[in-house]
Amino acid sequence: MKTFEEKWTAWLDDQLTGKELADFEASLPDKEAAEAEKRDATKLGTLLKQELGAQPFSNEEFFNHQLRERIARENAQDQHGRGGERSTWWTVPRLVWTGAASLALFMICAVAVMREKAPSERSEYLTQILNMRVDPVVSPNATVSVFETKGDRVTVIWTEGLQSLPSDYAAK
Amino acid sequence: MRVRRSLLLAGLVTLAMIVAPSATAAHVVWSGLVIAQNVPEPAPIPQELTHIEQTLKSLFGYNQFQVIGQSSKTLRTGQEDWLASSKYFALHVDAQGETDAGYTVKLKLYKELELLLETDAKLSTRSPLVIKGPQVGDGQLLLVLLVNDDERTEQSPHGHRHAANQANPVVTAWRRLSRAIQDVLP
Repeated sequence: MKTFEEKWTAWLDDQLTGKELADFEASLPDKEAAEAEKRDATKLGTLLKQELGAQPFSNEEFFNHQLRERIARENAQDQHGRGGERSTWWTVPRLVWTGAASLALFMICAVAVMREKAPSERSEYLTQILNMRVDPVVSPNATVSVFETKGDRVTVIWTEGLQSLPSDYAAK
Repeated sequence: MRVRRSLLLAGLVTLAMIVAPSATAAHVVWSGLVIAQNVPEPAPIPQELTHIEQTLKSLFGYNQFQVIGQSSKTLRTGQEDWLASSKYFALHVDAQGETDAGYTVKLKLYKELELLLETDAKLSTRSPLVIKGPQVGDGQLLLVLLVNDDERTEQSPHGHRHAANQANPVVTAWRRLSRAIQDVLP
């Protein structure tokens, strides 16, 4: 069941026929005024078709338009991609910078520590005797001295007066 | 968030610095009981003593050096202890930690169960230790301790100790740094 507005539009467009057309025109309260309105609408439609018809793009404008749309799409994708990478902290450049910074920090610390205490020949590279004790009951007259040889840096603990033992003690 | 990540990174670096030196410090300590004697036809000096042969001969005046007991111990933690023993003597070596240039050790020489002498020493990788022990018959008991680099010993067992004994300044600095951090940490 069509509404009055639908029938009115169809009547303006000359889409009603037969009994439907007769019934609709019979239902109009003022047929003369309606006819005048129909003529005005037809005239307006014709005028609009003439004046506001779609203006086709020329080739150059068409390709420019396509190109601008493509650039806009790519820019949008780039921004989206960069936004995605931003969520990951360990980007390659940051890893490189972090590694370089760590290495630099280590080198600074290493140099600082090396300079802090220059290794002296005596303390670093020669064996040091902290203390020495000979059992005074077994060897009451024992004495101990310590020295280093020059050539091959042998540290020697030299004892004197230890109790002598028979040759049997040389057994393996 | 960034602060947390930075702290995590710093923690990992610190952990690596603490762990790394102990992982790389692997030395073999050779400890031997040696009888020095003068004999008409001296036997060749044991391989372990070749590089200090002239020093031993000139210091003690003997022409033969015979190993009667020995032990080679690979130090991983610097806290190991071991025994080099002969029939009557035993040398107990108790490593008590690593130093910049070697290890701190406590040495005890026993004649059977009797303690003859004891000493605490900082044993350097570049400096062998020789202890003159008691007179045994017409000879002399010597105690010798040498620190060798583990890898070098496996690859070249016939000497050339000098290169291995060079102290690496970077390694030394690394150890000092890690020790400083260990001292600071609770």
